[in-house]
Amino acid sequence: MIDLLFFGRLGDLAAEVDRSVTCVDGRATPLAIREWLATEHQSLAKELSEPQVLVSVNKMIVKWDQPLFDGDELAFLPPVTGG
Amino acid sequence: MPLNDDDFMRYSRHLLMGDIGELGQQRLSDARVLIVGLGGLGCPVALYLVAAGVGQIGLCDPDRVDKTNLQRQVLYRTDDCGSLKVGCAKQALEALNPGVTISAFARPIDKEILADGYHLVVDCTDNLAARQIINDACYAQRIPFVSAAAVGWEGQLVAFDFGRFRSLCFNCIIDHNSAEPMMNCANSGVVGPVLGIMGSMQATTVIRLLLGYFKQHGEMTRYDGKRGQWLSMHCSRNQQCPTCGAASV
Ligand SMILES: [Zn+2]
Repeated sequence: MIDLLFFGRLGDLAAEVDRSVTCVDGRATPLAIREWLATEHQSLAKELSEPQVLVSVNKMIVKWDQPLFDGDELAFLPPVTGG
Repeated sequence: MPLNDDDFMRYSRHLLMGDIGELGQQRLSDARVLIVGLGGLGCPVALYLVAAGVGQIGLCDPDRVDKTNLQRQVLYRTDDCGSLKVGCAKQALEALNPGVTISAFARPIDKEILADGYHLVVDCTDNLAARQIINDACYAQRIPFVSAAAVGWEGQLVAFDFGRFRSLCFNCIIDHNSAEPMMNCANSGVVGPVLGIMGSMQATTVIRLLLGYFKQHGEMTRYDGKRGQWLSMHCSRNQQCPTCGAASV
């Protein structure tokens, strides 16, 4: 199982999303999970496709093609750029 | 300059602390810090650093005070609307602490301002282009870079101690070719005290860096004020980073 975390305002958009997903070790990536989310949660997937959205796996910022393994915690972080 | 009698009174709450004390206060007083952006983050950063006695402070912002700023930009008064932010800020900050030398630059950040011998730069801007210029200049000059941002209920902090660490920079985390996201403070709003929290974290980080207590090079902290949650994450160097990657050396 991979645990999903939607930080900040993404949490509002992901209210209906199951927070754990089953997938084959090393085959899933944050990008693949975003594409999978797009099939049922379009407004969330649209926000996740904004520029400067970050993904972290086990509290480490990674690239969208990072392979995911059982027990990983995948967090999506919305862009924060204002000042 | 050594501390005088007035300084001993003014900074007594620092001097009481064993890990700041007279030596630490002297370090703050000898420091030269540039604050880029005098909006919701820059206001608390400037207030706290000036109050703390950071000896020389540069302020950089091309904008004028607007009524819509007053909900969160705590340096300005209603009468300041229409005046340059750096001018109003300089006046308010000098009234707070006349012992601090303040320079004002009423123009967008550029390489010339960044090359003026600062020991540290605080990024309180609202756009990637400015962050990029500051990141590159700080990396090249081996000086620390303390960056924050906020929108809505959320804030982000990340700091780099380029004097000690040559691997990993802002450019590694947010690619310099990225477009700006749709959501910004002007079109989506921002909660004033969230900027206060992030600005206070920046000011604390500056003081830690100046005193030698900072160890979280390139660690990112996120705050969600609506749900009261914090999240800290590590980042890693992008080998292809044009600023600090293998190709740049
Ligand atoms: Zn880099």
